[in-house]
Order: sequence, then structure tokens, then C-alpha cells
Amino acid sequence: MNKSQNSRWKALGAKTSVAILITAALLMMMLSAVQSYFARQQICANLELNTEKELVIKTQKIKYSLESVESALQNHLYDIEQSLPYPDSLFSVTRRIVEQNPNFDGCCIAMIPDYYPEKGRLFQPCSYRNGQTIDTYMYDVEKYDYTQIDYFYFAVDNDTAYWSEPYRDPDDSLVTLVTYNFPVHDQNNRVVAILGVDINTEWLGYVLNSHDQYLSSYELLLSGKGRLICGPDAADVKHQEVKEMVEMINDTTLERSLSQSGRCTILTFIDKEDGEKGYVFYKTSHLIAPWQIAIICYDDEVFAPLKKMRRRNILLTLLGMLILSFIIMRSARSIYKLRDANAEKERIDSELMIAKNIQMNMLPKTYPPFPDRNDLDIYGSLVPAKMVGGDLYDFFIRDEKLYFCIGDVSGKSVPAALVMAVTHSLFLSISSHESNPARIMQSINESLCHSNESNMFVTFFIGVLDLPTGIMRYCNAGHNPPLIVKGDSVEFLPAKANLPMGVIDDKDYLLQQETVEPETMIVLYTDGLTEAKNMKRKQFGVERTFKDVKECHDATAKQLIESITKKVNAFVGEAEPSDDLTLLAIRYTPKEESWTLSRSITLENDVSQVTELNRFVQSVTEELQLGKPLPKQIKLAVEEVVVNIMEYAYMPDTKGIVKVEALANDKLLRFILTDSGRPFDPTSISRADTTLTVEDRPIGGLGILLVRNLMDSINYERANGQNILRIEKKI
Amino acid sequence: MNTTITETDGKYTVTLEGELDTAYALEFDEAMKPLRELADKEVVIDCTNLEYIASSGLRILLGLLKSVKAKGNKVVMRNLNDEVFEVFRITGFIDLFDIE
Repeated sequence: MNKSQNSRWKALGAKTSVAILITAALLMMMLSAVQSYFARQQICANLELNTEKELVIKTQKIKYSLESVESALQNHLYDIEQSLPYPDSLFSVTRRIVEQNPNFDGCCIAMIPDYYPEKGRLFQPCSYRNGQTIDTYMYDVEKYDYTQIDYFYFAVDNDTAYWSEPYRDPDDSLVTLVTYNFPVHDQNNRVVAILGVDINTEWLGYVLNSHDQYLSSYELLLSGKGRLICGPDAADVKHQEVKEMVEMINDTTLERSLSQSGRCTILTFIDKEDGEKGYVFYKTSHLIAPWQIAIICYDDEVFAPLKKMRRRNILLTLLGMLILSFIIMRSARSIYKLRDANAEKERIDSELMIAKNIQMNMLPKTYPPFPDRNDLDIYGSLVPAKMVGGDLYDFFIRDEKLYFCIGDVSGKSVPAALVMAVTHSLFLSISSHESNPARIMQSINESLCHSNESNMFVTFFIGVLDLPTGIMRYCNAGHNPPLIVKGDSVEFLPAKANLPMGVIDDKDYLLQQETVEPETMIVLYTDGLTEAKNMKRKQFGVERTFKDVKECHDATAKQLIESITKKVNAFVGEAEPSDDLTLLAIRYTPKEESWTLSRSITLENDVSQVTELNRFVQSVTEELQLGKPLPKQIKLAVEEVVVNIMEYAYMPDTKGIVKVEALANDKLLRFILTDSGRPFDPTSISRADTTLTVEDRPIGGLGILLVRNLMDSINYERANGQNILRIEKKI
Repeated sequence: MNTTITETDGKYTVTLEGELDTAYALEFDEAMKPLRELADKEVVIDCTNLEYIASSGLRILLGLLKSVKAKGNKVVMRNLNDEVFEVFRITGFIDLFDIE
């Protein structure tokens, strides 16, 4: 995955994360708003309920307060009635009343006109507080005629007590007074006087404003006519504000009829100073002579819990967003990781796929492998358990010898596949010049041991089948012995186990030899066959292998392998393949050639005999009527091999003979050279490097190079103490 | 098989006639010996009538070439017939000798 793709992915991821965050934030905000709305509704409902309760309580309080005044006066009433006959004693009565009631600012007894004729028309003794002292005196009735005040006659005529409208204390403009007017009766139960008690309303204000529901709320007591009787302490609420409230209440009071009294009225207003919304709850109560109590409270405090809740919500939302973004980042990171891991896995998979292709391409893949040969029927297959496997097999023909091998690297997958590849290339390179399987094995083993850090070993079988003679030399390094199928008999090839390769580097591997009879089938396999396990962990086993091979004894190599593969697959069933399954079958089918020409000559091992040899070869080519350039090419090739034998097969100065046999039909010319010298394999002479400079060019190696180039095949075999060399040319 | 060595225009000319097979190789080797030892001039090997050459003959030519080249001279092969040329090609000798 390249960089731009990567950043695009990241950008996409970031966008998604932001989208999720925004959605979550919106959801939370909506939730918060809904919650807030309902909470507000609840608070509003509670506010009205609570405030009405509060109003009731406050009304009760005021009622008690007023009743206390009334009951205090009741106590003095008797005193007054007793003193009625003695007008002068009324002064001391008033004084006593004031003395005994600290809440009373003063009191006066206003006699009905002409009650005491001797005292004049009006008589009003009174006592008033003057600081710490109490002044008792005769009210200046000349100046203030109390009968002119409407409530005097109202009280007298109705014989009822009542509270005056509030008014300012003439002596102290800051003090508001109300007067409680109480009728005084004589023995005939006739109203003869009105007892007026002046009460400083400040006291009522305290009563009213104690224990408020809200800190900033306050209560006002208004008279029936809407005049302010008392309110909160001037220090708490500004006079101006109180005045405005009173005006507001009065404005609305005018609009509603009296019948509505007793019900709570709610007004809302906006504070002029700080723009805050406020509420006025007020109601008129007959319990306290038609006075009204108003409670003023502010949004700020009413919805303080809501605000607190909102703040908490915002904090919680922020915290939630923080946690959410953290989670998103973490999960995004793990998604990236997962994606990277996936990409990595895909990459590895695709590389493994490539590796598999490479591995499979190393193996023979076209069948039949030698379409122009009729002496071999070969088929092989490798099914890796994992993507790449540690099994291998291969075969090729060099100098009329079939080189074949099968192997199994310990372990599976990539490491095994690497060792397999190394083993395979070693096999190919070493057997390109070495025809002895034991020596090939030894060389591969040495190389493997040298670089075997991972202690992997390879079980390996190498066979070299000489195609003209059927002599098979083989060497086994711990591999399963191949099966030899002759007619319908199946048996193991007697193969010494030896140690697998890669274990000990100076191991001597035993070379073994058998002659393979025509029509014999050699079946090679890895333990993936015999140890294939089914679901019950049972192995396919040797017996089953023998039986299945026997069933196919007269089938072609391909049929045999396909049949066995099918049977193994059926046996394994759903079970996971435990190992690579590799099979190689070789049927040796040599054909007898029929010859139309057969001549031979026996020469001594003396190069001077070459003239005779050349004459012999020339006569053969002439008889076959070969055209240019064949006769000279064949002559040269035969001369070269014969000279080679003469020079190398026999020790210097030892006598020996070389038999040259020429066989031909209309397609093929074959020379068989036989000598009884020491084992000498000209085919093992490494190819002369024709690219070297004059100085580096060795003198030897040219002869065999020419033979290989001029002839179609060369084959060497040692048999019966003789060297047998065959060279062939298609004609 | 005949081998003639002449010296003209400051060159040795070796004329080969017939078939240079292994049976003749020993004699040919002897014939080339003085040239190998002298190697003071360019050697032209006239192959116009050379019909056949085996690897034993090639080895002697290679030995001659090594000696002559060592003294800064060259060996020219002249008029190779098809079959001999093929042998030179197979063995890579066409790259070693000057072919005319």
C-alpha cells in the first residue's frame, strides 16, 4: 500500500471520526435540551406549587402575628373598660399597653365625641414611644380631629376591629405604621371608644421575610388598597425596587375583579437593572383583613438547580466527548492496525502464492516429459499441505541416464521450501557432471551441512537409471524406500536407510545398484502418502499403499498417481492435510532396436590404430550412404572417444583392446565401444570452457566437447568389469 | 597427410594437406616443434587442403598459438573448409585464432 493511499485512508478515518463525534455531540446536546426542557417544566410546576404553599405559610405567620396583637389588646380591654368612668386613668392605661407590648409604637383611645362632657367634645389619651421612653399625653385633638378619619366611624358604626391603611410615621418618615383599630364597649355594650394601636410594620416585615424559599426572593405585604405595609429589610432590597413591585401589583390588581381574591396570581417581569426575569406571586387573603402577600423571586434562583444541572450536563457531555474521541482514536488505531495487518497478510499471501508458483515451476510440469522417447513413462505430482511445501521431486535425462530424486524437508512452509529449493538446485548442479548417486548425495549433504543453521534435514532418494542397460544405481538418505512394481507384485526397493542429509557432513552414503527389468514401475513417494491422516488421526499406512499400488500395477504412471491421490484424498476426507503429498512413478519400457547394419572392429590401445578405425568408420558411413557433413562428423566423434579410451582407460604402457561395434538402421547409427580397462567415464569430464583466453585455455577436454556436439547422445555404463560407451547419431 | 613449412614475407606458412587425425598427431607435433620454439614471426596455417582435424591436432595448434602469442605474434588460419570450421566453432577456436 503506497503512501498516498495510506494518507487517504487516514483522512477518511479522520473524517469518519469527526462525523461520529459531531453526531454524538448533537445527540448529547439534544438529550440535554430535552432533559432541560422537562426539568424546567417540572421546576415551573414545582415553583407554583411551592410558592402557593409558601404564600399559605406566610399568610398563616402574618395571621398569627396579627392575632398576637389582637389577643394582647384583648388583655387590655378589660382594663380600659374598668377605667372608662375615670377619664384621667385612661392615660396610664395607654402607657401600660405600650409598655407591655414592645411591638407597639403607640396607642391611643379615641372616645366617641362628647363622651366626657367635662373633657370637651373630643378626648383621646395616648402614649407613644420616644426612643427609650414613653410619652403619655393628650392627643392634640384640636389639630387632628380623629373623627374626621373615615375608619373611626367605620369601626364605631360596624362595631368591628380593623386595620388601617399603612402610613408614614409623622415623626420618622422611614417608619411605616399601621393602626389596629379596636372598638371599646361600655357596660351596655355600646361602642364608646376606638382603641388604636400603632404598630411598626418593620416587625411584620421581619416575620414575613424570615425563612425564604430562595435567597434572593422576598415578600411584600400590601394593604387591600395596594399600599405597601411592609417588605424586606431596606438593606436587602432597594426601596425603589419594592416601589416598582408594588406599582406592578397594583396595576394588575386593578384589572382583576375582587372575586378572584384567594387565588394566586403570577406576574412575570424583567428586572430593569440586570435584565433578569422575575416572578411575582401574590394573593389576597381574607384571613388577614384583605391584605395581600406577594412573593417575588428571580429566574436566577428558581432555575438555579436547572442551571446547575445544565452545567453538569455540559461537563458530562464534554467528558463524554473526550472519552468518545479517545475511544474512536483507539478503535481507529486498532482498525488501522487491523487493516495494516490484513494488508500485510495479503501481501504475505500473495508472496507465498508467488513462492508457490516458483516452487512449482522448479518441478517438472509438462507431461509426458520426453515425448520423443518410448523407453520411459513418467508422471509426478506434488500437493503441498501449506501454500509452499518442503517436498520435492525432479528428474532429467543426461547421457542416456535418467536422474531422478524425491525428498522431504523436515518441517513445512517457507523455511522448508527454502531448504527444498537449495537441495533441488544442488541436485541439479551436482548431477550435471556426477553420475554416481552416492557421490551426488554426499556433495549435497556437505553443502547442506555447511549452511545448516536451522538444523533442518532432508530425507532424499536419488536414482540414476541407465536407459540402455536398465542398471539403476541409487542412494537413499533416510527416505521412504521406493516401491518396485513388477507384474502384479509390489515390493520395496532394497534401500539402506542411511542418515538424512543435513545431519552429519562427512557421512558416507552407500551406493546401491539394481537392474530394472523392462516394464518395471518404480513408485517414489514421501511420507505424506503413508502418514496421511484422516479425521480419526489414523494413518493411510504402508499396507493400504501397497494394496492401492498393486491395483494399478498395469496402469500408466499418470493413472497410478491419479488413482492413489484420489484414494488418499478420500481417506483424509475433511481432515486438514498434515503433510505435502508427493508421488513419482517411472515405468521403464526399453525397446529392442532392430539393426540393418552390424559391424565391429577390435583395436589395440595404440593411437596409430586410429587410421584403421577411421577406415572402418568411413566404410560404415559409406555403406549407409550418408551425405555431408555426417561422415566426417561421425568419424571425428568415434575417433575422439576411441582415443580417449586408449589414452585413459588403460594405464600407460599396458596393452589392451578396444572393441568398436557399429549398429545402424534407417534412423539411427550407434557405436558401442567396449574396453576392459579401469573404470573410465568420459561423460563425467566437465565441459571445456570455450570462452577462456589462449593463455587460460587447457589443452584437454576438447575431444568430449566435440563428441557431445557432433553426436545426438552419449552414454557410459560400467558393467561386467567393462567400460561400455555408446554414442548415437540420428541419420 | 602432409605438412609443409615455408618462410616468406617474414611469415611462416604451414601448409596442411589431408586428414589431421590422432594417428598423425605425433608427427605433426614434431613438425610444429621448431615453430613453437622460434615463434618469432607471424604463422599462417594454410588449411585449403586440410580435410579433417581431430582434437589431437587442435591441441597442437593451441600449443603453437600459446608459444607464438607469448612472443607477441599471431597465428592465422587460412581457408578452413566447412567441416574444419565447424570444429573450430564448436571448440571456440575461432575466437583464439585469426581466421582468414
